[in-house]
Amino acid sequence: MSWFSSLNTVVIDFDQSHLFFPRIILTLIAVLGLVIVVTNARPVLRAIRSGRYQFFVKNADFFRLIATLALIPGYFWMMDFIGSVLPNMGLGFLLASIPFVFLMSMLYCHEKTRRNVTIIVANALLAPTFVWVVLYHFFLVSMP
Amino acid sequence: MEFLELLSPAFFLLAAAGSIIGIIFGAIPGMTATMAVAVCLPLTYTLGLQEGLALLLGLYVGGISGGLVPAVLLNIPGTPSSITTTFDGYPMAQRGEAERALKTCIVASLFGGFFSAVILFFFAPVLADFAIKFSYVEKFLMIFFAMSVIASLSKNILMGVFSGLIGVLLSLIGTYDVSNGGNGEYRLMMPFMEDYLAYGFSLLPVLIGLFGISTIIEEAEKGVTETSHENKVNLSKGKPFSFSIFKGQFGNLLRSSSIGTFIGMLPGIGGSAASILAYTQQKNLSKQPEKLGKGEPEGLVASESANNGLTGGALIPLLSLGIPGDSTTAVLIGAFTLQGLQVGPLFIGENIDTWYSMITGLMFANIIMFIVMFYAIRYIAKVVLIPKFVLYPIIVMMCAVGAYAINYGIMFDVWTLLIFGVAGWIFTKIGIEIAPLVIGFILGSAAEVYFVKSLESYGEYSILVTKSPIAMVLWGLIILSIVLSVMIHKKSKKQAQQESAS
Repeated sequence: MSWFSSLNTVVIDFDQSHLFFPRIILTLIAVLGLVIVVTNARPVLRAIRSGRYQFFVKNADFFRLIATLALIPGYFWMMDFIGSVLPNMGLGFLLASIPFVFLMSMLYCHEKTRRNVTIIVANALLAPTFVWVVLYHFFLVSMP
Repeated sequence: MEFLELLSPAFFLLAAAGSIIGIIFGAIPGMTATMAVAVCLPLTYTLGLQEGLALLLGLYVGGISGGLVPAVLLNIPGTPSSITTTFDGYPMAQRGEAERALKTCIVASLFGGFFSAVILFFFAPVLADFAIKFSYVEKFLMIFFAMSVIASLSKNILMGVFSGLIGVLLSLIGTYDVSNGGNGEYRLMMPFMEDYLAYGFSLLPVLIGLFGISTIIEEAEKGVTETSHENKVNLSKGKPFSFSIFKGQFGNLLRSSSIGTFIGMLPGIGGSAASILAYTQQKNLSKQPEKLGKGEPEGLVASESANNGLTGGALIPLLSLGIPGDSTTAVLIGAFTLQGLQVGPLFIGENIDTWYSMITGLMFANIIMFIVMFYAIRYIAKVVLIPKFVLYPIIVMMCAVGAYAINYGIMFDVWTLLIFGVAGWIFTKIGIEIAPLVIGFILGSAAEVYFVKSLESYGEYSILVTKSPIAMVLWGLIILSIVLSVMIHKKSKKQAQQESAS
């Protein structure tokens, strides 16, 4: 049984102990990933070639998708930027949110009727201001 | 009864407010209870412990319940778990019995919610008492068991396990924390990440990104289409509701609530599993199975009582073991941590007053949910008419506030939102499942500590099996869950093959 006890024994060097568990997980991910690739590669490739699998949904709205993926980081960046110019007033949040809410609403609104645009403008002005007043001033939540 | 002193008017007010906001979120198709909790998080930062908990529990109960409104009126489940409510609710609404259907659902929800709260009250302390004796070995195995259950209930077992492991890996990024007996070294990152990720990704921004931002991106991809439902939310006509609907439904109520509570207890399983199981059970046992699916109140009772049975059920492993039962409780665990609460086996014993006030809050939220929905359903039904172009920007904005404020003003947490929002959107497309990933992420770093410390102190791998009888039982459960899931998957594969052949 000596082979068993030698396999069974484990000594973890404290200096290297931060790598012990991540290595196990990485190994498992690699092994499992390999199994998944080997067992599924063929049917998946077939599905992709025949067009049964598509990354994007059918009739994807690429304009709204890409605009969303640009608008959100733009909003976060503006928030940070304005907040560093005018710090400690939560203005980064307020001044970035108003144009963001307006632009995103305009982006998502299909029928830009007079009524809808009025709602959008009012919402873009009121919602961020309301959140800013309530959360920043009453609830003392930190904002950029 | 010292806990009564903790219950201020604000406590009840916030539980009620949470419940109402939750209902509104649940009632809007595409918005879930998870999102309601995520969006309202910043409100809880400065609230006291009791008040914060009251708001969160209200949001949870309201969010789960609100899903029945669009399910009945529009044939769209407002939350995943109200999928089976559409089967009978929508046909009833089409016959002009929308109000009758809605009120049946509401009463069933109340019963389910109450039932599960009672089970929670009696069962969680027992489970916690049992779990207190767990050493690191058993704690590790408990997490391992939870992960194996989640993985085995995924659409594809291999992908489920893979997703869980990815979640664990993500949780390990950063420092091996000295306070947990680690050596304080960085791992799994490149030098440029050290400034941002020294403590890893923060839990809540990750969750809000995965559940909030990715939903918005998905919707944008579909073009954010609005459909007009004006004519469908008119409830003023049709057969009125009466409690006689529930005649002979007590068995159904009890069984479905128990199924909901039990499924809720299993970690990582979304609500849809509970209501589907309860619905199929009812169909199997019904005297008139052919009528189910065509507009029978019986189906609504099964679906909605199971659906709300989840709430108390999912809180059981959360409060007694520190393992979240579903995605909403996953966000709750983060919110509790912010309040300085460490959920786990010691929680109830050490915070007995908080525990009682939580149960009170949960019960109260259920009552408010019932009153608001039962008497104001006509107005709540109108919520489904709020256009998405108004709603979505506000959600992104609230997610940003929530993420920024979580660690008192860290901009990287806001970028985490974006990273995981985009990642979550891509993950679902390539077959990586979000539920196991999230549970892996939440439990990963604890699993590491338990695993490494057990091996460090005993010096042999076999201790993981031979430590105690409990450890062996847990191994038995782990093997059982894997074997069962393989069998179920094989069976459903065979069925699919037979169906495609015929």
